[in-house]
Amino acid sequence: MQEAAAAPDDDQLLAGYRVLDLTQELGVFCGKLLADLGADVIRIEPPGGDPSRRRGPFLKDVPHPEHSLHFLYYNTGKRSVTLDLEQPEGQALFKRLLAKADVVVESFPPGYLDGVGLGYEQLRKVNPGLVMAAVTPFGQTGPYKDFKASDLVLMGMSGWMQITGEPEWPPTRQGNEQSHFPGAQYAALGIVAALYNRDLVSGAGQYLDVSVMEALLTYYTENHAALTWLLSETNVGRPGVRSRMTVPMGVFPCQDGWIALGVVSAAEWESLARWIAEATGDDAILDDKYKGGTHARQAYYDEIIAYVIGFVTGLTRQELFTEGQRRNLAVLPVATVEDMLNDPHLAAGDFWVELDHPVAGRLKYPRGAFDTDIIHPPRKAAPLLGEDNQSIYCHELGLSPEELGALRSGGVI
Amino acid sequence: MPQGILRGVRVLELGPLVALPLTGRYLAALGAEVIKLETNRVLDDMNYIPGWKPGIGQPEYQAMKRRITLDVRHPKAKPVLEKLFKISDVFVTNFRRRVLREWGMDFTQIREINPNIIILWQTGAGSQGPYGEHKTFGNLIQHLCGVSPMTGPADDDTPGTANNSYSDYHAGVFQPTAIIAALLRRRRTGKTAFMECSIFKAGAVTTGPAVLDFQANGRFPLRLGNRHRYAAPHNAYPCRGDDRWCTIAVFTHQEWRGLVQAMGSPPWAQDGRFLTAADRVRHAEELDGLISQWTQSFTAQEVMERLQQAGVPAGVVARGQELAESPQLKDREFYRDTRYYIPERGKPGTEWEEGEEKVIAWSVPIRFSETPCLSGPMHRIGEDNDYVYRELCRISPQEMDELNREGVLS
Repeated sequence: MQEAAAAPDDDQLLAGYRVLDLTQELGVFCGKLLADLGADVIRIEPPGGDPSRRRGPFLKDVPHPEHSLHFLYYNTGKRSVTLDLEQPEGQALFKRLLAKADVVVESFPPGYLDGVGLGYEQLRKVNPGLVMAAVTPFGQTGPYKDFKASDLVLMGMSGWMQITGEPEWPPTRQGNEQSHFPGAQYAALGIVAALYNRDLVSGAGQYLDVSVMEALLTYYTENHAALTWLLSETNVGRPGVRSRMTVPMGVFPCQDGWIALGVVSAAEWESLARWIAEATGDDAILDDKYKGGTHARQAYYDEIIAYVIGFVTGLTRQELFTEGQRRNLAVLPVATVEDMLNDPHLAAGDFWVELDHPVAGRLKYPRGAFDTDIIHPPRKAAPLLGEDNQSIYCHELGLSPEELGALRSGGVI
Repeated sequence: MPQGILRGVRVLELGPLVALPLTGRYLAALGAEVIKLETNRVLDDMNYIPGWKPGIGQPEYQAMKRRITLDVRHPKAKPVLEKLFKISDVFVTNFRRRVLREWGMDFTQIREINPNIIILWQTGAGSQGPYGEHKTFGNLIQHLCGVSPMTGPADDDTPGTANNSYSDYHAGVFQPTAIIAALLRRRRTGKTAFMECSIFKAGAVTTGPAVLDFQANGRFPLRLGNRHRYAAPHNAYPCRGDDRWCTIAVFTHQEWRGLVQAMGSPPWAQDGRFLTAADRVRHAEELDGLISQWTQSFTAQEVMERLQQAGVPAGVVARGQELAESPQLKDREFYRDTRYYIPERGKPGTEWEEGEEKVIAWSVPIRFSETPCLSGPMHRIGEDNDYVYRELCRISPQEMDELNREGVLS
């Protein structure tokens, strides 16, 4: 079902809400999600630019504040102002921005904002309806709250690395810096819920504390390492590319790359076994002992995996994908970023959105997880450093050009 | 009626596995009344997680839902379904449209029954496009999202994976976020919403800057294992014990100095090969070897504590044991004790025995200062039939008897 026509911007889910985004890598995706849902997200950067602007990879490998592909990826749809939060004039200006905002999201080390006089208790005096969310490695409380962390450290401490990779590999982190997502996503969920509470229930704002370590732990519940330890005093290890959830389920090397293939129901097994028998001429795989759904074949794991590997080795990714789906089997090619950018399905759904950036030029960005007319694709590429200083400080807050100039020469913006 | 932010909001959930049940779980923790529509005839595959007794994993997905049974294929199910749609604010499902149609639940029909209902349809790959009808599972879809080939060591091209359906979990959080935003919009504009979210695209959004790097620089994401393109040392280092590791991630000069001091300022640390970050990245292999010699004489916990004291980002590579015993997670009461039920095929869910083991479920990792997330036990399948059908749908006791006798509510 499709809504009649594309909704105008003021019809977006979060139209009318304003977010001040003070985040670093662990929270930056939160603001992007809220911007995707239609909120007005203003990125507050220190006068020299957000530290993530110095983060690679860079466009054409040239380090430059407008070339950081990291910054470009995580800040689509946002506006940018510069502001030194540690100077009194900067703080005063921040409080003026705050009076017109609904949300502050930050990811400074716990206690930092309190230390500079901009903690939640101080800010709620300016704006009692404020919803403020902090995304930090371990949360605002507990013995590890001040521990220093990075993606690698968090992926280790949350247990993800212990279960990632082949059994003979050392613990391995995911290549997409997975820790940048779950905490930020929970913060977005919490913020939207807190706005609902403020606007429809209580009228009051509140403070949200999100621990990335905890968020990451909920993202592999089917492997639930802590519960497994409690039940059996065994530690979940690295399973490699094949799951034991059902047999077979996982990734297999085929003629020109890797293919993901899995069977859940008895009918799916029947379909796969027939296909293997037809392709290899070996009927042994049709044996009754292998038949059945989720629980079947666990005792024959090694045999089944050997059959599947022998079978897929002779076929290409495309052959397996097309024929597998024709036979109503879940067979999918393992994709690189290039495959994704050329994927016909993503193209058909307009998943890749071309956005122009004055320095970085035109690049394709992901639209988002949703297909619906009321969630628009990102409206614009990431902002230039301080791109919106004039429009926000002068047009919205009413600063004169002289005042703006004085703030600039004072290093406040 | 539960307390919490979303009190008064009623959600009807239909569908198994991971992302969809988690969507309902989050909404329930936020105070919505989530009615999970199931049947005793087909059990969710997530009851059967290998290595665990059946049913043990279910509280994580189903806690606090009102669980009712209905055989949607029964000819007399339709009027019951209509009543359920009428009393709900939100409907979430992950069934294919063809199947929903067979059951009389096409989205346009639902809208005729309840014009205000917000519908979230979770699909595998997204319904528009060539894979629209393709068969997929979250566990496999993750490999469509570009991350597996960039995960793992440089000298091996095996796709690296944690072998869990991580894109399911992304969808599981995206979905309730959009649902609550749609409730806000409905109050603001009076308009309802129809939203589709796919597991594939939920994963594809999180591929990260590598998609820009490929476009801008023509570069495939480097497989660096645990190393970093711009920082060293940056790896997991072996510690005392079997398969025990501690990560160390040094980005700044100050952190490098802290590491060197914590190691007792060994002479090799002054070597010209390790002076700047660029030097260290260039000589990462030798550097990792030297640091490993130091880490191997300590436990992972000791390495982490020594380095954190020195201001160096470092952390144990936690196993289940460390997570179950973590002082940090205990301090924040992250895990709660809960109960589960042992599934028995052919027996109604209300008659399942309670499991004997102590099991735990995580609490939703959002700490609200004013309106904490709710936590509570998982109900049995069908436990809430009386409450939902009689109290909410106002079906009379006589009708209930008839529906039960004819197997409609099974």
